[in-house]
Amino acid sequence: MKKTVEIPLGSQHISLLEPIRFRFHCENEVIRDVDADVGFVHRGVEEACASRFEFKQVGYVVARVCGLCAITHSLGYTLAVEKLLHVSTNERIKYLRMLMVELDRIHSHMLCLAHTSENAGFEALFMQIMNDRELIMDVQEALSGNRVQFDYISIGGVNRDLSVEAAALVLRNLALLEPKIDELFERFTNNWSLSLKYRGIGALSLEQAYMYNTLGPLARAAGLVTDVRLETDDFPYAQVGFEIITERGGDIYARNLVRLRELKQSMQMVRNIVEGLPEGAIQEKTKGKPEGEAIARVEAPRGELMYLVRGNKTSILERVRIKTPTFSGIPAMIEIFKGSNFADAPAILASFDPCMSCTAK
Amino acid sequence: MLNAFIQALKNLVSKPVTLQYPLAQDIVLPPQYRGLIEYSAEDCIFCDKCEHACPPRAIIFFQEENGDKVYRYNPHLCIYCGECVRACPKPEEALWQSEKKQPFAVRAENVNSEWKVWEERCHSSREAFAAAKKAKKAAKAQSESVQGDL
Repeated sequence: MKKTVEIPLGSQHISLLEPIRFRFHCENEVIRDVDADVGFVHRGVEEACASRFEFKQVGYVVARVCGLCAITHSLGYTLAVEKLLHVSTNERIKYLRMLMVELDRIHSHMLCLAHTSENAGFEALFMQIMNDRELIMDVQEALSGNRVQFDYISIGGVNRDLSVEAAALVLRNLALLEPKIDELFERFTNNWSLSLKYRGIGALSLEQAYMYNTLGPLARAAGLVTDVRLETDDFPYAQVGFEIITERGGDIYARNLVRLRELKQSMQMVRNIVEGLPEGAIQEKTKGKPEGEAIARVEAPRGELMYLVRGNKTSILERVRIKTPTFSGIPAMIEIFKGSNFADAPAILASFDPCMSCTAK
Repeated sequence: MLNAFIQALKNLVSKPVTLQYPLAQDIVLPPQYRGLIEYSAEDCIFCDKCEHACPPRAIIFFQEENGDKVYRYNPHLCIYCGECVRACPKPEEALWQSEKKQPFAVRAENVNSEWKVWEERCHSSREAFAAAKKAKKAAKAQSESVQGDL
């Protein structure tokens, strides 16, 4: 007789932000095996980039892959194409790009924390974090002209300069957000339903993190030192005070802490960028068509985002390959599910912060 | 525990954070909002650069038989990236990005299929014009060669 019971989760479920389907094979309360299907939001972006759109337009197409990390997608693509066109950008452009990426990280991490607390049954905290997140959304709207689709980065530079009023707004909103993040620290470390309940749940050991090639906050919570900001020199992260943040344990609690500490650090980095913005033009001259193959890596809020671009000296690219952080995290996710309680599955899932539209493209 | 109790009492008497949207407040667009693309036919030099730059192809020119071009723009297809304005040789005069919000697409206006018909007509008008020009050129070349023979 079969011992396990099959329980589906998704593709539509109350604890999911985006469609993903799991099929849990449970023995009583314990999950023994998991099947995952992630392809519900496939839109054929990679094919469209290499057939319908010219290389100058593709930056705006890949920005539509994901609503949360739109800026990192356009940045990854732009960096790869700039390598092919042999364009080097000045310091001001680099700083402005970093500014947007860090703001993006702040609001993405806040969304994840809100979602984690919601799945812990803490709906009021979810509302509160989402309300505080609006401060950052307002800043991004003032900087780029739109709340979600920033369209801020173009090949050779950025589309808008940082005005004096916008810089003042950034500093003001960060000052408003700072005490709220401190309060969140308290909530996530001392509140029973957010911290103690989740200690040791969904734990990923350092060896497992290394073996399953996990990325981003997930790996850093397990103690694995991996961060593209540290590994590449596309951006002067050391100048704005970047230091790698790692935690031990790799459970839901550690992941929350890594995100909270990264929030604080990103806020400090945004402040440093705004205060120490170098002078220069915001657009460099570009000419020619992309030829050859280039890879660009960017640290998205969820981990390493990799772009491979291949061109053949025409305006239509030959290949655009996007490797997203969630895609790399799925093997680890399946491994963590095995052996944990079924009741913890939504909380584990939320702590992974999966982005399905990135994964399925 | 005491803090939570005090907070709960405070929340009981404080006003709700959310507002009834159309009744209490209007949406205020921030300054420098990326809104509708606006166009002035008087200043346009009809270089077609905006049409080539537009990622979703929301700008198309219709070609009249006498050589004039007519600008056509679909605000529902536009992604408001502003790439057309950056491509324009006369930005702020011929083509600029306003701070106006886009109009709502109403089903009765039939925006999608109407635009597809427009798009088709614009393309065929361009092809017809190019073919007519080619035929004219060929006829001219032929007449010139005939004249040369004479």
